[in-house]
Amino acid sequence: MDKISQSVVKKDHAPKIEGRSVYVGDYVTARDGRPILTGKLLHAKVARARVLSVQVPELPAGYFYVDAKDVPGDNNVNIVLDDTPVYCRETVEYIGEPIGMVVGPDEKEVQRILSGIKVNYEELEPILDLRAAEEAFFDYEFGHGDVEQAFREADKVYEEEFETGYQDQTYLETQGMMAEPEADGRMFVHGSSQCAYYIHGAVMRVLGCGPTGVHVLQDVTGGGFGGKEAFPSILGAQVAVAACKAKAPVRCVFDRREDLEYTSKRHPSLCRYKMAVKDGRVIAVDCDVIFNAGAYSTLSAVVLQRGIIAAPGVYNIPNVHVRGRAVKTNTTPCGAYRGFGGPQTFFAMERMMDHVAQDLGVDEIAFKEAHLVKQGDMTSTQGRYHFPVPLQAMIDEVDAKCQLKRKHEEYKKRQTGRFRRGIGMSAYFHGAGFTGSGERDLIKAVAKLRKYADGTVEILASNGDIGQGVRTTFPKIVANELNLPLDKVYYDHPDTARVPDSGPTVASRSLMVVGELLRRAAIKLRTVWVEGQEQEVEERFQEPDFMIPFYLDKFQGDAYPTYAWGVDAIEVEVDTFTGVTRVLNAVGNFDVGTPIDYNIVVGQMEGGFLQGIGYASIEKMDYDAKGRIRNNSFSDYLIPTTKDVPNLTAMLHVEKYPYGPYGAKGAGELPLVGATAAYVAAVEQALGAGKHPLRHAPFTAEDTVKELTKEGN
Amino acid sequence: MVNGFVPKTLQEALELRATRDLVPYAGGTDLMVENRENVSYLFLGKLPELRQITVDGEYVRIGAAVTFTEALASDLVPPLMKEAVSRIAAPAIRNAGTFGGNLGNGSAKADSVLIEFVADAKLRLVSVRGERLVDVDKFYLGRKKLDLASDELIAEVLLPKRGLENYYYEKVGGRNALAISRVSFAGVFAEQDGKITNIAAAFGAVADTVLRWKEVEQMLIGKTLAEARALKADYLKAYEAHMTLTRGRVSAEYRKAVCMNLLGEFLAKFGI
Repeated sequence: MDKISQSVVKKDHAPKIEGRSVYVGDYVTARDGRPILTGKLLHAKVARARVLSVQVPELPAGYFYVDAKDVPGDNNVNIVLDDTPVYCRETVEYIGEPIGMVVGPDEKEVQRILSGIKVNYEELEPILDLRAAEEAFFDYEFGHGDVEQAFREADKVYEEEFETGYQDQTYLETQGMMAEPEADGRMFVHGSSQCAYYIHGAVMRVLGCGPTGVHVLQDVTGGGFGGKEAFPSILGAQVAVAACKAKAPVRCVFDRREDLEYTSKRHPSLCRYKMAVKDGRVIAVDCDVIFNAGAYSTLSAVVLQRGIIAAPGVYNIPNVHVRGRAVKTNTTPCGAYRGFGGPQTFFAMERMMDHVAQDLGVDEIAFKEAHLVKQGDMTSTQGRYHFPVPLQAMIDEVDAKCQLKRKHEEYKKRQTGRFRRGIGMSAYFHGAGFTGSGERDLIKAVAKLRKYADGTVEILASNGDIGQGVRTTFPKIVANELNLPLDKVYYDHPDTARVPDSGPTVASRSLMVVGELLRRAAIKLRTVWVEGQEQEVEERFQEPDFMIPFYLDKFQGDAYPTYAWGVDAIEVEVDTFTGVTRVLNAVGNFDVGTPIDYNIVVGQMEGGFLQGIGYASIEKMDYDAKGRIRNNSFSDYLIPTTKDVPNLTAMLHVEKYPYGPYGAKGAGELPLVGATAAYVAAVEQALGAGKHPLRHAPFTAEDTVKELTKEGN
Repeated sequence: MVNGFVPKTLQEALELRATRDLVPYAGGTDLMVENRENVSYLFLGKLPELRQITVDGEYVRIGAAVTFTEALASDLVPPLMKEAVSRIAAPAIRNAGTFGGNLGNGSAKADSVLIEFVADAKLRLVSVRGERLVDVDKFYLGRKKLDLASDELIAEVLLPKRGLENYYYEKVGGRNALAISRVSFAGVFAEQDGKITNIAAAFGAVADTVLRWKEVEQMLIGKTLAEARALKADYLKAYEAHMTLTRGRVSAEYRKAVCMNLLGEFLAKFGI
């Protein structure tokens, strides 16, 4: 193990474990000692309607009702596009859309006022099902080779449809933001979040002020998983408007039901795949990918881009055509969640490969191995896999760990008992960093180091620690280059008033991109180091020379500089009487390059893998006929508990990336991406591959019983 | 305003219950989550009269304020009840949750109540007016509706001492812990001199109350195993016909399929 990989105690370990960390809901007063007003949102109760009037009961002194009319600037939240309103326009587009906010000193009184508000709706017919959607927010198309020709020449053509459902991030700490008007006229916004500068930009626009009119601090954050990438911009804008009107600090913290029903989650998907086979090889794939974006576009553009770039999987297929749409429905807007579009399309592609192999009468794993991409091969967007692709070695390691291939052969035999077994494998990647030229053209990350006279060094960057450990790993990198003990280097939660914009905490980019900036900054500081003097150095992002420029309009070029690779094997035992499936063994092999801290990375891999298994099996969320999300509590939306952690192994295969710090690549999202495909493949094998082609996730106990009832068990 | 009363004796508790509008509170694992406003609680969890497990000639008597953890540690509680109780929620909930609370909450998903149904348990209800014994299946009048007067408290569960040795139990939850039952099944079997003397089957979490059809059970009572095997198809058909299940977190069809599978497994286990 490299020295940098050796584990240290996380910098935020003690305050968190001792309960001293202060989360946004914990503040007793505002920073200047003023009392904090409680804000509660008035959520729309129908999925689509014109709002004719809102009758607010007479408000006691000190209470306010806030809505779109109170927005000093522009009533649009800047995310990718700007179609998300701060408070609703003349219509509401989903159940839960914020119409206004009631603000006041006493929470119960706020609640009482809220329940006394009468909203008059003129109801319109909502569109809920993505199949019925009429409008696509985004519609992309790309490919290479001659797909039509390939389909004409094929020995056999296959067509299948795959579906995946919602998944909620279920961070421990619900969404919560607070806004404090400061004496100097600035608006101070802080809370549970991933991307301080995203919120900064959003609040500026809403308040109609310049960059110095607002500053944003990330409070200690109890988990994000993508759910706090864009949503805090919306909630931050809402509390900022409320604080403007009340001229007082306002805080809004969601309860769990609000959070589960009304905040962004993983996009449900429908993937129609068509595959051409000639002489036993896949010669073409045509992927039609549809994501349910919900009522507003929020992050759907970028989630969809990442999803469709991965649509042909990790296989070398000479002819590729991909179309991807993110469609509008009158449901809660979907957004970022670990994996960001990848879990949906990898599920479809991996299942498609399994089914085609089964039909051809060849082993699924061998079929996949025969098609794996290699270094130098072309990507789906005509870029290159510039660095070694270790997938075959990773499959071999997984096989050695859990006898994948032997068991896979064994479980092919017909099983008839109550309990039946299967094992499935998936191979996948996660493109490291922003898609396309986003790092170069949009983010343009800047990071700084400030050395104080006493020799301590502060890292100035905008990436938030959301449990993934950047408050520890960033200082490790800097301390390593400066030959300082770790306690001499520190990284606080970012406040945009004092840190440069090193970009958002997304896309598994923080350590690879910003970590490398910090490593270079530390080298720079080392060369100019003067004892006893306060000094500052700065580094800016530069795109590596080897990159083939990416054109988003054509989906052409290197979508990512490099890739984190993954191979999962999941072995299950299905109880055919109850449908309950037990995971006997889950082995994930993850190549995220050099781990900057072994324990942190293994923890992330285990957690992400388990989240993936939850997504594959029990995490079912659905809306009813009116468009209301039914699974709005932790007794209705189940995530795995410690008792549901199977015999789970996270292995690290290290393929160093020369342009990341000490060889590190993107890590955070990878482990969730492939679990669904491996799990459903395992259940399918247990039920009898060929007899029961399984094409959706989550695949629940109820689905299993339904599937078995089809054939009369 | 939430108010609480902490009686020192059962008698004091009954007097409070008779004179005020109080919500009986034993372990509080459901009530704390509900967090109702403007109610007053009658805290029963520490009353010695409700906290005992005893045995007499006929029954194992479990006090209403006995916790699930205590029952699991007791040598007196039959294995069938222990198995069901061990699947409730998680250790922290089992430390607080009680038999009386599980009954009083009125849910068909209550894991200990299923066993009381299949075992023909009785409940001892007490009030300042006196006390009465009621069969558990009579106690449940419908969804969240109990035969419990506004001045009454549940004092004890009377579980038959004998006859629960041969059983089949299965709980299907959404996951391995902290999971409300989606389907639960308990079956009890007994035979004497080659003839079936008891073949009780109860289904939990599939309707408004725990379900049990004694008239269908009668089909096999007094029969030999061979005769029972011959009647098996009709017996299963009778269950199919009776089973009108509701949908909940899972569909009615799923519930029925699982119930029938588990019923079949129960029969198979005892040679039918």
